[in-house]
Amino acid sequence: MPAPADQLPVGLAACDCLTPFGDAPASAAALLAGRCALALTPVLGRAGGDLVPLALTGPMDETLPPRWLPGLRRLAAGIPPEQWGAARTPVIVTSSNFGVGSVYAFTRDADVRHLAHGTPFAAVERLRREFGWGEQVWIFSHACVTAHLGLAHAARLLHAGLADRVLVIAFDFVSPFVAGGFHSLKILNGAMPAPYARRETGSIGLGDGAAFAVLTREPTPFQLRAHALHNEMFHFTSNQPDGAGFAVVAAAIAAAAGGRRVWVKGHGTGTLDAGRLEAVALAAQFPAAPLVSWKGSLGHTLGSCGLVELAIALAALRGPAGKIPGTVGGAAPSFTNTIALEPFAHAGYDGAILTSNAFGGAHAAMLLTHD
Amino acid sequence: MIERFLHQLSIELPTADETLAAARLRLGAKFPRTALRRMTHLGLLIGSVLDGAALGPDDALVYASTFAETCSLEDFLRSFPAASPLLFQSSIHPGGVQQVLIGRSQPIARLWPLAGRTRLIEQALLTALLETAARVALVGGEERGTWMLEHQLASTTSFAFAAWLTREPTGAAGRIYFVPGVRVAEACPTLEHFTLALAARRPLQWSGAGGTWSLEWAAAAGGAA
Repeated sequence: MPAPADQLPVGLAACDCLTPFGDAPASAAALLAGRCALALTPVLGRAGGDLVPLALTGPMDETLPPRWLPGLRRLAAGIPPEQWGAARTPVIVTSSNFGVGSVYAFTRDADVRHLAHGTPFAAVERLRREFGWGEQVWIFSHACVTAHLGLAHAARLLHAGLADRVLVIAFDFVSPFVAGGFHSLKILNGAMPAPYARRETGSIGLGDGAAFAVLTREPTPFQLRAHALHNEMFHFTSNQPDGAGFAVVAAAIAAAAGGRRVWVKGHGTGTLDAGRLEAVALAAQFPAAPLVSWKGSLGHTLGSCGLVELAIALAALRGPAGKIPGTVGGAAPSFTNTIALEPFAHAGYDGAILTSNAFGGAHAAMLLTHD
Repeated sequence: MIERFLHQLSIELPTADETLAAARLRLGAKFPRTALRRMTHLGLLIGSVLDGAALGPDDALVYASTFAETCSLEDFLRSFPAASPLLFQSSIHPGGVQQVLIGRSQPIARLWPLAGRTRLIEQALLTALLETAARVALVGGEERGTWMLEHQLASTTSFAFAAWLTREPTGAAGRIYFVPGVRVAEACPTLEHFTLALAARRPLQWSGAGGTWSLEWAAAAGGAA
């Protein structure tokens, strides 16, 4: 029996994101139009290297102040005013890379000013001072499922009565550090990603992303009702060949979803083995649910992807088109017949499952519902 | 009040000058030979404190490390422009604990890796107290850096600890409890300070996260633990 999902419903009082397309409504509109933010870019920025698909909000090379700061300032302008960082209104910051691109920059140009925000703590301390937060600022770092952890932990704080509102922030901006790393694994190569497509070679893209959500116990039109987590510990960069890790989380979140009619926003980076295992496991639990991935357009926004894609899902659900974006960059044949390549109407669905995966065989899924 | 009881404490406080090679020699018997050659210093220390821990798919693990895989990070940065895939993987938080659990094929339900600094241990403890799993492994540690240490981007010492937190008082070595209430936050013990307190079975008390924290040991707890 898999560990059951946390079923601690919380309201989404506010949520937005930043991608190369702009905020969440702009990003949802771009995805609905089938636009692709990925462009072939030298993997090491100004140092050159192979061309790989990156979706950037600006030049990748690190700057002073760090290049993620202006983007986060824009994003933070939409956060509802509150005494954030106080004991009853904590902040949870999640990322995979934080400011490590600045440490890379230091190794290239020896400018020690980069190091002021090179560690996770230092990067978040910069944000804390920038935005006037108090001391109750949490930092979770679990690679590409880390935003899910922040949201799940926020729900626990709220249900334990230890917080009234929680601000969860996720950000990851691509640097030569991370692009070079994924390129060394050969999954960031010269091909554009085609999530869930049955083809010869897998490939991913990487993208800049940031997002926030304000969670509350108060009723709101949209709720995060459940979170499921599992860690395979099979291999750093591959999954159990039988897909058991994907199946565990899919089963747990399906149990939490009950009989709801849902659609699924998967992880879908464009890798072959993980994409196939994920699609099959989700189709087994949700055979009638359309499965989409948006990383063929936005790239993989790493530690921020769970929250960025939640913000886009909310924007699509609220948007005038009444449609959910399809799998931009996907192509037939797909791994399963559940893959939605084109946008589809969300009328008739009363919830969505959003999943992410990470190194170490980490799996995360959450259930989003609406009135 | 939220409380958990501490069981199976294990602590690694190597000598200040212990190298990765020396740690491999000292601790090698605790690891599969195939995994050993790829393990980092922090991974070896965490693997040592988790040696014999029967972690399973119903368990949760809370992992606290401010700097995490410093030496892998340093070496990965040195590997550019021919970036090393192995060093990339092992440089990523929470690689220190993942390399141990992957080497021992120990899936777990939930892994909560925290990377703060000034209130890190308080946040790790609260994360553990809020866990629904019957058993929570609380693990923390750091490894001493080299060139990053010169820039205050790394720990000055290497250490690790592990403790099981459960709701079972019988046989417990101590207990940790949190009493919510409006309090002015005081300085929170550092990760290293907390580790030393565990090693010495020294009680701790401070205010933070909107309440008061207490670490008590069995004798001082009047037999409650």
